[in-house]
Amino acid sequence: MKIIAIVGTNAKKSYNRMLLQFMKKHFESRAAIEILEIADVPMFNQSDNQTNSEIIQTFNEKIIASDGVIIATPEYNHSIPSSLKSVLEWLSFELHPLAGKPVMIIGASQGTQGSSRAQLHLRQILDAPGVEANVMPGYEFLLGSAHKAFDESGNLNQEGTIDFLEVCFLRFLRFAKISNQLNQEEEFTYNPGVYEVNAIGHSGKLPMKVSFSETRIESIDIDAKGETEGIADVVFVRIPNKIIEGQTLNVDALSGASETSNAVIDGVAKAVKLAGVNPDILKRRPKPASSQMREDEEYTCDVVVVGGGGAGLSAAAVALQQGASAIVLEKYPAVGGNTIRSGGPVNAADPEWQQQFNENPGERQTIENLLSTDESLIHPEYIDDFHALKAEFTAYQEKFGTQKAHLFDSPLLHRMQTYFGGKRTDLNGSTIYGQYDLVKVLTDNALESVHWLEDIGVEYDKSIVFAPVGALWRRGHKPVKSYGSAFIIALSQYVEENGGNIITDTPVKQLIIEDGKITGVIAAGVNGQKITVHAKAVVLASGGFGANTQMLKEYNTYWSHIDDDIKTTNSYAMTGDGISLGKSAGAALTGMGFTQMMPVADPETGELFSGLQVPPENFVIVNKKGERFVNEFSGRDVLTKAAIEQGSLFYLIADDEIKKTAANTSQEKIDRQVEAGTLFRADTIEELALKVNMDPQVLRTTIDKYNSYVDAGFDPEFHKDTFSLKVEKAPFYATPRKPAVHHTMGGIKIDTKTRVLDENGQPIAHLYAAGEVAGGIHAGNRLGGNALTDIFTFGRIAGKTAVEEMKGL
Amino acid sequence: MMNYLAIVGTNSDVSTNRMLLQFMQKHFSNEAKIDLYEIKDLPAFIEKEDIEDAEVDIPEQVKDLSDRITKAEGVIIATPEYDHAIPAVLKSALEWISYTTQTLKNKPVMIVGASHGSLGSSRAQAHLRQILDSPELGARLMPSSEFLLGKSQSAFDNSGSLISAEKVAELEEIFREFVLFTEITTELLSKRTLKKKTKKFSWQE
Repeated sequence: MKIIAIVGTNAKKSYNRMLLQFMKKHFESRAAIEILEIADVPMFNQSDNQTNSEIIQTFNEKIIASDGVIIATPEYNHSIPSSLKSVLEWLSFELHPLAGKPVMIIGASQGTQGSSRAQLHLRQILDAPGVEANVMPGYEFLLGSAHKAFDESGNLNQEGTIDFLEVCFLRFLRFAKISNQLNQEEEFTYNPGVYEVNAIGHSGKLPMKVSFSETRIESIDIDAKGETEGIADVVFVRIPNKIIEGQTLNVDALSGASETSNAVIDGVAKAVKLAGVNPDILKRRPKPASSQMREDEEYTCDVVVVGGGGAGLSAAAVALQQGASAIVLEKYPAVGGNTIRSGGPVNAADPEWQQQFNENPGERQTIENLLSTDESLIHPEYIDDFHALKAEFTAYQEKFGTQKAHLFDSPLLHRMQTYFGGKRTDLNGSTIYGQYDLVKVLTDNALESVHWLEDIGVEYDKSIVFAPVGALWRRGHKPVKSYGSAFIIALSQYVEENGGNIITDTPVKQLIIEDGKITGVIAAGVNGQKITVHAKAVVLASGGFGANTQMLKEYNTYWSHIDDDIKTTNSYAMTGDGISLGKSAGAALTGMGFTQMMPVADPETGELFSGLQVPPENFVIVNKKGERFVNEFSGRDVLTKAAIEQGSLFYLIADDEIKKTAANTSQEKIDRQVEAGTLFRADTIEELALKVNMDPQVLRTTIDKYNSYVDAGFDPEFHKDTFSLKVEKAPFYATPRKPAVHHTMGGIKIDTKTRVLDENGQPIAHLYAAGEVAGGIHAGNRLGGNALTDIFTFGRIAGKTAVEEMKGL
Repeated sequence: MMNYLAIVGTNSDVSTNRMLLQFMQKHFSNEAKIDLYEIKDLPAFIEKEDIEDAEVDIPEQVKDLSDRITKAEGVIIATPEYDHAIPAVLKSALEWISYTTQTLKNKPVMIVGASHGSLGSSRAQAHLRQILDSPELGARLMPSSEFLLGKSQSAFDNSGSLISAEKVAELEEIFREFVLFTEITTELLSKRTLKKKTKKFSWQE
């Protein structure tokens, strides 16, 4: 028999160690006892997971391979030493080698007690869930007065003591043999067939179909319509694959989606039960082989991209187009980042296409207002463009006079709106505005980005020109597929089909800097292994820090207050990793104090597309009393500030026609939300008011006034100037909304070629940044629809520059 | 105003026991000054080779903790439950105190605990009582009073306040009793004429 003996203390001098050494010698003809020391085991800390360290792994492997374990404990303060407790905590956190393992407890102390109380505690600890050792009952071996119990050569000096130790140890060998039979898997057969079960997921029930043959789980199909897109759908592929691969329920949850992962595992467990088998048998099986691989990996390529969102995938795609090799490292189980969560419209002035659409009432007024800006308030680098835009618009006015015209647009208008829209002053009185050269690149290349995506395989719905909230203008090219998934699916397919390598579940931890030069990155792999990528260029495309509240608060200079529990519309992956990586190489940061709130986010989840998310010309925003309080067509921060003044929570009122303009939803989804009480519906405005605790008369008056302003094309109260539909056709809806963190404008300082700049404005060789990780473009406020323009335009430039500079062009 | 030291019994970044102490600090601010103490930066306890060394070269952080315990009129310990017992990192802090300065001797102590499950760290609290009662620690535990916070992940609102009015009332009662217990214990000890023996000891010798 192979026995592992653990010395239960880190002390250099220990009678418990002597006792185990004696046993090893004394019983060598009966069992092979290997003694393990715990002095090098770090203090357990669940926030600093060292499960994969060599020492913990050694304990785990040796215990698993043994036939039984002896633990010798001293007694410190009536209990076991902290050093022993720490080992047991590591061995019951992510690993459970003691589960079902036969264990013998012994102890020595210098007092008369022989560590009796510590032994009792140890018994209770070993019995706890997560440890679940099989401790031998009775046969307590307590060695009191230990300092007198050994002779000079380390042997016990009392015959009676040795006799009793023999009795206990031989009993333990027998106990271990029988106890290990319990650990052998019992035989079972499934009742073959398909079983339908419901797992409880993040947003309700997940219907699942699990099919069995007599010996195997054959397939797992999940109907996941109700779950959040993006990360959740990875769960529905990855977890079933792992379960089937290992024929086991001992499967790790995916990071960032533990609730959904566990729902899938529990659902399959239910099905196993229906098939006539105890799911506990499958929970005790080892993890699938692919989860146990922990070999370090090394790769070499031309361009390594940090982050698999829109910017990163664009950079990789262009690098491949230029004939270079590319690897994309994505922290999350799936690519997509925030791009996949976005509404989908890309801003790009495309006058040829936009001419098909009629102007809306009030749109000319918007441009007139912009052009009547006092020139002393305009920064000198933008003045020439301002004059050129004036000339463009004058020609348009002369052409149409008072007739209904087509929609006006030009890259110049896009540029000036981006500039005016981004100009802000923070709480310290510092003013920020978009860096001219970057804004020029953005607006001049926007249309090229739209076309390039079309070549890659993105299909647009050309029948509608879109203005997402805070866009200020209708120039959004919206894909046919919902959300930003259209871009991500097309781009990731393109990258993979053209020889690029996308590695998910692999957060980049550091840049490799050799002799002051950047030569690659080091990342952590899915099972904690080290992934090294040697590359000639590194592109940071890891997004912003909207999901890192601490960092938001640290840099914030714009909002009077950021709540600790503020929600975000972002993916939880957006924690500013790339900004930290850039800083480690000496990158300068710019505009970090300015963050954008999305005023119209779900109060509970921060999601954008719950309830009825309609274009802002159809927003009717009312406070908790049922009164309007803001021009609904304002920029995002104006709406946010107004909302915060009203106590943050407000409602979007819609009717049946406005409902039809809601993005990324369906009747089924709407009905489900009404049922869940997260969206309110009623047949009259008055009934709707009662449902959301408003005075029916107040809401009635508000809606009547709003409808009259739509007719007049003029809003004397809040000066909304772009209208579309009235609120008149039942049923009526109220969607609760609250501001949530949406975009971090600040970031790494770059030039027009996306080269990362240091504090002296000098490029850091072979390091590039694109997308939300970079700053300088959107300044104090980003226009809705400009983020996608930014990532695809600068992402492409990053890929191009990286390859050019690598080749020394 | 009583002045208490409240020890967060874990090194985890996210801890409902820390939240519980932060709530008490705020909630009882008119009755007592409660200072929170984090044990995560203490080194792991290891016994000296020579018993003579126990009083020498005490790590700075341990000295600092000892001083704070000495200055406080009482100590509150919030413990999570790991494997039916107190976390190793909390045990390590107590081992340092018992092995070096023994400043918990006769110190009034109140135990609270929170757990994600429904039992509210009951078994860890029972262990902690036995540990604090050991001769080298010798704390004055407030008898027969338990505060167990089960299902702690949903026990606090966004501002960190305990949601259940019943639980708040229970905590208030126990805390007021502890203030009283501190006063009485202090008075009792002032009348004792027993000399405190500083006994050097080791667990292994």
